[in-house]
Amino acid sequence: MRSPIRIVFEQRSETPKRLSILVPLLSVVAALVVGALFLLATGYSPIETYSNMLSDGFTSSRGITDTLGLSTVLICTGISAAFAFQMNLYNIGGEGQLYLGMIGGAWAGLALGDRLPTFVMIPVVLLVGSLAGALWVLLPAFVRSRLGTSEIVTTLLLTYIAASLVKHFVYSPGSFFVTKNSAFPQGRLVPDSAALKGIGDTSLYPTFFLVILIAVVLFWVVKKTEYGYRIQVIADSPRAAHYAGINANRTTLSVMLISGALSGLGGAVLIVGPFGRLDPGIILLGYGYAGIVIAALARNNFSAIIISGILFAGLRSGGDKLQISTSTPIHIGVMLQGAILLFALGGEAFRRYHIHAVRTERATQ
Amino acid sequence: MKKMWKLAALATTASLLVAACGSSSSSSDTTAAPAAAATDVKVAVVYLGVPDDKGWTYQHEQGILDLEKNLGITVKRVENVADNADSEKTFEQLASEGYNLIYATSFGYGAPMANVAAKHPDVCFQWATGAKFLLTKDGGGAFTDFAALPANLGTYFGAAEEARYLSGMAAGKATKNNKLGYVAAFPIPEVLRGINAFTLGAQSVNPKATVQVAWTKTWFDPTIEKQAAESLLDAGADVLGQHQDTTAAGVAAEAKGAKWVGYNSDVKEAAPAAWLTAPTWNWGPYYTKTTKTVADGTCPADEYYGSMADGLVTLASFGDSVDADTQTAINAKAEEIKAGTFAPFTGPITDQDGKEILKAGEKAEIGQLLSMSFFVKGVIGSAKG
Repeated sequence: MRSPIRIVFEQRSETPKRLSILVPLLSVVAALVVGALFLLATGYSPIETYSNMLSDGFTSSRGITDTLGLSTVLICTGISAAFAFQMNLYNIGGEGQLYLGMIGGAWAGLALGDRLPTFVMIPVVLLVGSLAGALWVLLPAFVRSRLGTSEIVTTLLLTYIAASLVKHFVYSPGSFFVTKNSAFPQGRLVPDSAALKGIGDTSLYPTFFLVILIAVVLFWVVKKTEYGYRIQVIADSPRAAHYAGINANRTTLSVMLISGALSGLGGAVLIVGPFGRLDPGIILLGYGYAGIVIAALARNNFSAIIISGILFAGLRSGGDKLQISTSTPIHIGVMLQGAILLFALGGEAFRRYHIHAVRTERATQ
Repeated sequence: MKKMWKLAALATTASLLVAACGSSSSSSDTTAAPAAAATDVKVAVVYLGVPDDKGWTYQHEQGILDLEKNLGITVKRVENVADNADSEKTFEQLASEGYNLIYATSFGYGAPMANVAAKHPDVCFQWATGAKFLLTKDGGGAFTDFAALPANLGTYFGAAEEARYLSGMAAGKATKNNKLGYVAAFPIPEVLRGINAFTLGAQSVNPKATVQVAWTKTWFDPTIEKQAAESLLDAGADVLGQHQDTTAAGVAAEAKGAKWVGYNSDVKEAAPAAWLTAPTWNWGPYYTKTTKTVADGTCPADEYYGSMADGLVTLASFGDSVDADTQTAINAKAEEIKAGTFAPFTGPITDQDGKEILKAGEKAEIGQLLSMSFFVKGVIGSAKG
């Protein structure tokens, strides 16, 4: 009698170089194939759909600027998530910290008014937004470092409170953030001195380069500094860190705060950039949650996050435009974005494990 | 590390290159031939939700279907577009794909749409529920004044308060304990006007009627709308009105054996026993007329405010529980409104605190209506939300 086949996951001690490149590539191809089946089944041409998605997201000139513009905030939330994740701190409340960044940034812009020049205003708005994001993670960070309370629950729940705060500040008549005598609740625009112009009238703002720079600096901090080394040691073994005399509590606190500040920066980037005002519409966009996926795709590597952030932005931007450039319904675009991400994350298994089928020897009695 | 820098440099170069291309292409756009010839009007409509929401978007979809039938054209629908700064990309994309008449059916599209309109003077933009004032510096917008606004942007909306008054009459007749409830979105003039008109209508047939308001701070959220409706029903209301996009309040009223005045669409089937009537919209004639005007070479840049007289605002069919006498009274009032002999906001009107707002026989001016910020006597709740 033939013995049954069993699938074995064998952890790789080392990932072959070619797999690191091959697996993500094949994942995307697999997702496109599955997406094509869906498109064919619903009566749409996969080739037309894909070529449009590609041109709307990555190859047309406006496609590229839209993609890079959107990637600015996504890279912020991506590095925010990764900075905490690398130390096994699961700050999944980047979404709420981003809202706080918007509130803080808008507050700074409106409170200072037109008194200061742009080169002072922009850094101040970005800084206040970052601080607000850090403030929002202070409580979860504190209870995590002192009492060991799960930051997953606290950061997530605080996101709902942050969403209510945004709504409160915009929908309460007479709020500091809204236009007086308006027939409709809308945030006031920050003064011109706190508003950047898109490069060449596109949706790409100069903040993109700042965010890239920050990602690069973080890459360096983690790989080359003593602080980065401490983070690695704690992540690998908190006990070893303890014996090595590393104060894990203090590092936990600071890593969480920096993570919150980076998401807050993402919110402030929206204030000096495309939004220009506190807008509850941000709640529908999920940029903070996207950061979690982007960090996961890049395996918390800060240089890879630049790529995965841009990739994600392009998929989203191209997918969103699908229903204009083709007759594809919006749901197909969303489905394709989801499929590509799912496959890319699922492909991780092949990178990390050697997967093979074996025949199990059955004991004969 | 080296790889990292190469990458950053590559990204930087690419984006700068692209920025240069982007600016040159947008300048060529502006030199394109202005105005559409009668034959080549290419129409798109941008929706906040989906056309089958049985509410606000559904009602616009009926108008767009009318337009397609009347002019024999096909309209591009763009659905599920969040009405925030991000929507600018959608408008930009539509304009660059050659759509030269773009309707957008939510308030939040205004600022992004105006930005794109300024860059594409050859494309006509129409903003539902819009108010140009809010695009100006004084109104919290980006344009210095009215004169600086793009000339290819118009707005369209209407006096729903007329039909709300009539629906209030049905509610005032239907209540057994004189307690009406109202599920309301935001404390803004449009909504306050509707609540007041509903209350005045109810009081015109039932002077003891009061209206308790529950704020949801959302236009579209079936769960929150249902919770607010249930809180009003628990507080004793036996008839509900609403200023929301879904039928959730109707479903809640149906379950409790209460009555319901809907909004936006004639959707008796959502809550057949509870249904009284609803203020609704008939967008078809507006879409047809405006599209024709644009096809003939003019982009209407005015702020159109329709009414029952011109047919934009209507009252839905009556529910089975609305008796013949009430129907006759409401229909008679509707005729007076259409003829201009009656306006819902006619004095004497006092606010919640008993302060006189309008003297007997005095009619509210349009400015008073558009900036309304108080509740009339008989409304329970805060006009500040």
